[in-house]
Amino acid sequence: MRAKLSTVAAATAAAFVLASCSSGDGDGGGGGQAASGDLAGEGTGESCTIEGEVPIGAVLSLTGAAASYGESQQRGLELAAAQLAEQGGVTYDLTIEDDQTDPRQGITLFDQFVTDGVSLIIGPTLSNAAVQSDPIAQEAGVPVLGISNTAAGITDIGDYVFRNSLTEQAVIPQTIAKATEEFGLQNVVVMYSNDDAFTESGYEAFAAALEAEGVEVSETLTFSKSDTDFRALLTQAQASDPDALVVSGLIEAAIPLVTQARELGIDVPIIGGNGFNNPRLMADAGEAAEGVVVGAAWNSSSDNPENTAFLADFEAEYGAQPDQFAAQAYAGLMLVDEAVRSGCAADPESLKEALGDIEDVPTVLGEFSIDENRDAVHPAVVQVVQDGAFTVLE
Amino acid sequence: MLLQYATPLTFIALGAIFAYSFYAVLIAGQLSLGQAGFAALGAFSGASLAPSGDDVGEVPALLIAIAIGMAVGALAAVVLGLPTMHLRGVFLAIATLGFAEAVRIVLLNQSWTGGAQGLAVPRVLTVGMAWTALAVVAYWFWRMARSRYGRALEAIREDELAARAMGIDVGRHRLTAFVTAGAVAGLYGVLFAYYVRLIAPGDFDFVAAVEGLVTAVVGGSTMFLGPLLGSGFQTMIPEIQRAVGIEAGWIRPFLASFLLLVVILFLPGGLASLLPRRRIRMPASPGRPAVGDPGTRPTDRRHPDPGETVAALTGLGKEYGGVHAVRDVDLELRSGEVVGLIGPNGAGKTTLVNMISGLVPPSSGSATVLGTTVGRTPVHKMAAAGVSRTFQHSKLFNRLSALDNVLVGAHLVSRPTFLRRLLWLPSARRDEQAALERAAGCLERVGLAELAGTRASALSYGDQRRLEIARALASDPSLLILDEPAAGMNHVEASGLSTLITSLAEDGLTILFIEHNVGMVLQTCTRVVVLNFGQVIASGSPQEIAADPVVIEAYLGTSDDEADPGSIAEGTAADPTAGSAGGTSAGAATNVHPSAAGTLPPPDTTPRNAT
Repeated sequence: MRAKLSTVAAATAAAFVLASCSSGDGDGGGGGQAASGDLAGEGTGESCTIEGEVPIGAVLSLTGAAASYGESQQRGLELAAAQLAEQGGVTYDLTIEDDQTDPRQGITLFDQFVTDGVSLIIGPTLSNAAVQSDPIAQEAGVPVLGISNTAAGITDIGDYVFRNSLTEQAVIPQTIAKATEEFGLQNVVVMYSNDDAFTESGYEAFAAALEAEGVEVSETLTFSKSDTDFRALLTQAQASDPDALVVSGLIEAAIPLVTQARELGIDVPIIGGNGFNNPRLMADAGEAAEGVVVGAAWNSSSDNPENTAFLADFEAEYGAQPDQFAAQAYAGLMLVDEAVRSGCAADPESLKEALGDIEDVPTVLGEFSIDENRDAVHPAVVQVVQDGAFTVLE
Repeated sequence: MLLQYATPLTFIALGAIFAYSFYAVLIAGQLSLGQAGFAALGAFSGASLAPSGDDVGEVPALLIAIAIGMAVGALAAVVLGLPTMHLRGVFLAIATLGFAEAVRIVLLNQSWTGGAQGLAVPRVLTVGMAWTALAVVAYWFWRMARSRYGRALEAIREDELAARAMGIDVGRHRLTAFVTAGAVAGLYGVLFAYYVRLIAPGDFDFVAAVEGLVTAVVGGSTMFLGPLLGSGFQTMIPEIQRAVGIEAGWIRPFLASFLLLVVILFLPGGLASLLPRRRIRMPASPGRPAVGDPGTRPTDRRHPDPGETVAALTGLGKEYGGVHAVRDVDLELRSGEVVGLIGPNGAGKTTLVNMISGLVPPSSGSATVLGTTVGRTPVHKMAAAGVSRTFQHSKLFNRLSALDNVLVGAHLVSRPTFLRRLLWLPSARRDEQAALERAAGCLERVGLAELAGTRASALSYGDQRRLEIARALASDPSLLILDEPAAGMNHVEASGLSTLITSLAEDGLTILFIEHNVGMVLQTCTRVVVLNFGQVIASGSPQEIAADPVVIEAYLGTSDDEADPGSIAEGTAADPTAGSAGGTSAGAATNVHPSAAGTLPPPDTTPRNAT
């Protein structure tokens, strides 16, 4: 036992020493490269050539509560990185790190990327994490591109914070307006999970939009993001005989909720937020998903050339349909490439300027621009599930 | 150089502070998960009630928030602690977990907290501030460890009933520990908020609570550096994995959990068990006066004069669901007497002394012991009145050293030292030294001086019995109750014990002892009381008892007629205090160490020596 104890002790000590050495080395090397010297290239656009590798950090939630989004984002980023590597001229050194859906890890990672001297940080997955970690990049003068942050106020953190994800406030009013026009909504029941930042801010957007459209909300019901049985709530909703159910929930709640609603004979349209915009809805809820209306930043059925190519490449690479998180991640890295090539420089300062100037760039999300608040501007889409696929509601 | 590690270092400090809030109660043997709730309440109230940094400056704002957060955390601990402090083990864990969940749900549904989207807080905390706060917290627990208060908590962890019998107010100590946990958790909550910029109720959920607990346990919950080591370990694992270059994904959490398993398997005492521990030594003073000399007796304690009544029992009875363990016992103990209580198995001897020492309330009759009425007085108050005892089955503080055991015994006669130790007042040192001298004297008196540093559980059975006597002596009692002190001793040890008891009586101590070694009883006692079927059948001088035909028939037997096998069997089954005390005696049963019931040796198996 004595021997074992000392072995463990020695191993632990060794591990600590090892860690401090190697991270020390890594930091030292990275810090030196941060100088913009070899990150400035020659030529513009297609012909731009930059000698050094452009270091890009990505902070995604690959494990923990938000792992399902992070995984999609990782696929989108890796696909984009692979395609950019083929294109040549500018090489990207993309490092994807996992924040474990833990604010402490997110902050540590941002800190580490800033210390390592990356040119830009992509992420983090969740809006709450962005509020916590984006200020670190802002203070250090490293641009951040959010690819899934939809909460209000993220870009107010500072002039180095950008995002290519439309806010709920941008998408949801369009969804409600379109649905009201289409279905003649007069009175609806709103349901949302109140223990998740994303769905709660979605609810707030829904409530504001419904009020603006003059639709009466006969009841507002809340549930938890971990709930799977919604029958009691749905029965309660059924009692007020609504024209539609408006739901702000994550995909994990959306699938059982939609299935159970149809089982209970609720056949009015179900209007969902961004969380519903996931091919798993049709895959897992099947028939029940028919007639679900989803407002989305990404039109999966769009036939613009970028999107068609993306759908095919993604399917070929991963054998599955991409969701909006993958599309936004893919578009994110492509936009970074666009920004790098526009000035043919990849140091943080030039990237920040170039990102702010992005205008009418064709992407999988459609014609894309960054507005003066560093928020995304591109067409949103209102989709309805028809025959097992999202189609544009018209 | 240090600056580039500022973030992980800050999180190590924060994690350690949170782990200290678990350590604060683990050290008293309480398993609580409510700290996440205290931290959440502290964080949200501190962050929203403190004035803005623009008005008073950032650091004052943080300090005000800390004060608010710690006060709120402590207050919440009082509110939760009062109704739950009688819960033990997993029941306390579940109750406190319920509280933490309730807090999370309430905060989620309040508008001032921002709900799930959280509350934005400016970042004020720096790595230096975090480590300063950690140093203060660690200092607190460091100074606590060797104080009277710290020892009392450890004693409660090791054996609650014995701690009570040593005069420790267990309820108050447990609540104090819980409130400390609440305040430290509140501190963590505020510091966390002022570092991460945005707090949401989800940051203080079940997972966070479990992580805090794991950090404290991995680090070691019996040594004050444990939480710090645990937090360093937990925080560095992801860093190491990143540095080594393990690709992000499921492998990392898997490895982290695996390492945790390895540590727990091979270091059950936590990482802190790798550190060398400084044991307190016996004070070396050859000319130390023997315990019992007037000079060493704490002066503020009044002992009854010789011949004065120490205990008066009138019609005392105890009934367990129809079984009369003790009935109608009239007995008077006078100061300076050595009274032997003998009788066959199940005669009610232990029940009787349990009543006298306040462990079991009588069902009928009345008793006054050292001016205190038995029945309504809690055990620790009886101890304070001057009753000290040993137990039929040793109830030592197993993981503490022999010397520490006796130091706990001196709880009642030493002064509280914790707060003075925090300030390094020399008087605290003097008081600790006095307690140490006293404890050492008690150990010497029972002949265990050379084993002072040995863990109680590592002592031989006979030594454990003697250690119990030393511990009971340390409180300078007026009435010493010994429950089968010679059980498991050979005749040399037993005669040594006999000499010890006689010498204690010479010092003016009143002694009541149960013993099966009748020869020893007759030789040592001034008076012998014989109990059978819960009733006193004889009482008198050893010579009278040895000659009493009733006693000979009922108990002593003759050489060819040892104790009646029938009555022993019956008696064993009916003995309510041995084996399974049952749920009927609330005071005693709930206090017994949970694992004790299954491991008790069969009661009263000592061979009886009738001559």
